[in-house]
Amino acid sequence: MTPIDHARLARPDARDVADLVTRLAADYGDRAVTTAAIREGHSHGEGLADAALPDVVVFPKTNEEVASIVRLCYAARVPVIAFGVGTSLEGHVAALSGGVSLDLSQMDRMLEINVEDLDCRVQAGVTREQVNAELKGTGLFFPIDPGANATIGGMAATRASGTNAVRYGTMRENVLGLTVVTSDGRIIRTGGRARKSSAGYDLTRLFVGSEGTLGIITEIQLRLYGVPEAMAAAVCQFTDLESATRTVITAMQCGIPVARIELLDDVQMRACIKYSKLEGFAEKPTLFFEFHGSESGVAEQAGQMQSIAEEHGGSAFEWATKPEERSRLWKARHAAYYAAMALVPGTQGFATDACVPISRLADCILETKADIEATGLVAPIVGHVGDGNFHLVVLFDPGDPGQRAKAEALTERVSMRAIAMGGTCTGEHGIGVHKLHALVVEHGEAVDLMRTIKRALDPHGIMNPGKTVPN
Amino acid sequence: MLDRNVQALLAALLPPSALLTSPEDTRPYECDALTLYRALPAAVAIPDRESQVIAVLKQCHESRVPVVARGAGTSLSGGAMPDKNGVVLSLAKFTRIVAIDPLARTAVVQPGVRNLAISEAAAPFGLFYAPDPSSQIACTIGGNVAENAGGVHCLKYGLTVHNVRRVRAVLITGEVVEFGNDALDSPGYDLLALINGSEGLLAVITEITVKLCPKPEQAQVALAAFDDVVGAGAAVSAVIAAGIVPAGLELMDQAATRAVEEFVHANYPLDAKAVLLVETDGMAEEVAAEMTEIRRVLSEAGATEVRVSKDEAQRLLFWSGRKAAFPAIGRITPDYYCMDGTIPRKALAQVLARIEALSEEYDLRCANVFHAGDGNLHPLILYDANAEGEVERTEAFGAAILELCIEVGGTITGEHGVGIEKLPQMCVQFSPGELERFLAIKAAFDANGLLNPGKGVPTLHRCAEFGKVHVHHGNLPHPDIPRF
Repeated sequence: MTPIDHARLARPDARDVADLVTRLAADYGDRAVTTAAIREGHSHGEGLADAALPDVVVFPKTNEEVASIVRLCYAARVPVIAFGVGTSLEGHVAALSGGVSLDLSQMDRMLEINVEDLDCRVQAGVTREQVNAELKGTGLFFPIDPGANATIGGMAATRASGTNAVRYGTMRENVLGLTVVTSDGRIIRTGGRARKSSAGYDLTRLFVGSEGTLGIITEIQLRLYGVPEAMAAAVCQFTDLESATRTVITAMQCGIPVARIELLDDVQMRACIKYSKLEGFAEKPTLFFEFHGSESGVAEQAGQMQSIAEEHGGSAFEWATKPEERSRLWKARHAAYYAAMALVPGTQGFATDACVPISRLADCILETKADIEATGLVAPIVGHVGDGNFHLVVLFDPGDPGQRAKAEALTERVSMRAIAMGGTCTGEHGIGVHKLHALVVEHGEAVDLMRTIKRALDPHGIMNPGKTVPN
Repeated sequence: MLDRNVQALLAALLPPSALLTSPEDTRPYECDALTLYRALPAAVAIPDRESQVIAVLKQCHESRVPVVARGAGTSLSGGAMPDKNGVVLSLAKFTRIVAIDPLARTAVVQPGVRNLAISEAAAPFGLFYAPDPSSQIACTIGGNVAENAGGVHCLKYGLTVHNVRRVRAVLITGEVVEFGNDALDSPGYDLLALINGSEGLLAVITEITVKLCPKPEQAQVALAAFDDVVGAGAAVSAVIAAGIVPAGLELMDQAATRAVEEFVHANYPLDAKAVLLVETDGMAEEVAAEMTEIRRVLSEAGATEVRVSKDEAQRLLFWSGRKAAFPAIGRITPDYYCMDGTIPRKALAQVLARIEALSEEYDLRCANVFHAGDGNLHPLILYDANAEGEVERTEAFGAAILELCIEVGGTITGEHGVGIEKLPQMCVQFSPGELERFLAIKAAFDANGLLNPGKGVPTLHRCAEFGKVHVHHGNLPHPDIPRF
């Protein structure tokens, strides 16, 4: 992992920045903030706190306000960094060369819900839990659920996914259209409400996952799904990691349309049992399942899944059919990152995000587990293994440089192992600053094209500089 | 005509049989399935390996010669129509299925492999390739990626963009680039999505990794009859709103069913004003449960009759009418013009009613056969090119339908692409700000505009010209192009 080289990024002229801050204060009053505490809060995400402070934080409320702020930044050549709720794990929101942090949390309205078309339009600052709260009673839901209660804007910008991507896809599949403010401060709309379009280049998917480096996403048209008639969740424990992993691979091979399938290794189970007070489970490799469908469909899927697990020596299924039992289980899963961090108080963690073709999943996980054990570090494994994606939280003592180096080296090996197996160093967290070098290893020539596109859409390099595409 | 020097340079790169330059040899390449636009290319190159593709592109780049990549030439939007000063780069010899990985459920294929051939090769593993454009027996996967092709199955299984994992392509400069990878997600900008649907304007594809899906245990189709088209449109919304995601949801109106029945005898109810085909697939229990629900929703939505296929033979019979719809219409009219607008499903009933009214206004028959589930219309305007004024009326009718699609929040093309055909409507659908982004992306890949010039994205200058055309309604857009 290369340390962030702040010096390499040109900083804007201090006087230009000062003038811009004065102008923003005049335009936005107490919605343009320069206090140290607020700037500090906007200098890093979750994950490793390599902070870099913006010069000012502005809280726009409308597309036009965002456009007007970006136009000022464009004219002054000052960086602008979009900020949702700051749950990024890869340093996306750090203001590496200062500038304006554009906090979209006040753009938090659901703009429309189209029940018949199964879509809705939201402002970027709406959180994923808020979407589902507002959909209550419509019979619809939005499935993408990263661990954190992130904003939809942030999720679109990082192409987030979650526990049920295996059934519903990632943000790539579930964003139908966007409103984007371009680097020169123009408001454009991409995609739309039609389910398919082959008109023009796919700007929607280009902006999805662009991590704020091509434009600021201000509105998102989301695809929604009918709440399934029946849902059931189950837990199955295994004596070893390999059997649990093989169970997943077999299930995927058989095409069982399971909605969620999550693997937690013994260390992660220990963390979750402690942190989320999960009772009645052993500290053993474990799979969490969820099935969606009609009553009979769910029973059929679950029956097939159970027999596959049994073949691999899995325990009898523990069922959670009541909504409150189910939500307790998934709450524990969503809190896995926080549970891991709580495992050794006072530590920091690197989150890895390897994703490999399902046929290489067992190799990748088992080699990684052996690698962790050889280092002596604490690094629980948890993952949406149905789509080949798993995470480590590599814990280290921030006061011990030797341990940090060891943790970094392990993280690096996980990324490179995934890439060598035909996979990727990031299935869902994004590149940010921490994985820039891995992008080059993974994409080679295509990185040049990405750079050209970046220059074409952001000629002055003011959109979240230093992220996503290496200079 | 190619400069003699350029021709000699190209000839040095390819075996003699792989470079065609005489008009009698290049004539078969003068158009694609949109036959009203034609141009004789200066040369046709037919490489059989990637190194030749690289060499040809490098040379064309150096000599500033336009290049139009071509698969099977089934494009309905003129995407593969040649440039008269350029080279057609045919990928017809890239027909190898390189590998099938049943565990990862992927297939690595060359761009000239036919869509259906992938499913045939995957069948022994219990797998299939889901996107199924109607031309799937002929169209190639390379063309499918270039156009982001759809098909009946796309409602449930997604478009080409959702079913392609990795694309290997050659830029106009001859550089080889890989987009995407074998895992679920690929970091950085989503260039894979950019390549899908880029209509040959960004790069020439040389290898594709596609996703394969497990063949469902069972499939069953319901055929529902309706007294009016608008009611059938409303039933489509009712099915989706009930939380059902059918494996196919197609609508045919009476003009279409009558034409089809004479042709394939699928035993469609001919007195019905519209027929819906609703398919469900999956595990046996699920299919049974979903079909019960589909029946209920269709009946409540006013279907006068619902038949459910009893076995595989009957399922195929029900579908045979839909699959044969285009050739069947071709039998009853000298010419037809197929549109591809896509609208939010909710607007379906309203748009169908408006198309009926337009049909009367322009005094042209119109048959509707389309992917109703995802709102992708395929109105077929029936006309006779030899009848005075019908060509002009057909074009005006078509333009009115596309603009209607944009008006209700839809798009001018769901799966056929813009090509040369829908350039004027691009100016209506997209603002200058959006078009500028498209042009910037094009320039990032192909600064000299050599790949498939004049297609896909109009220049702002052309839009200004079209704007004038648009004001004087009924005038023929870009009259310089030979048609019909």
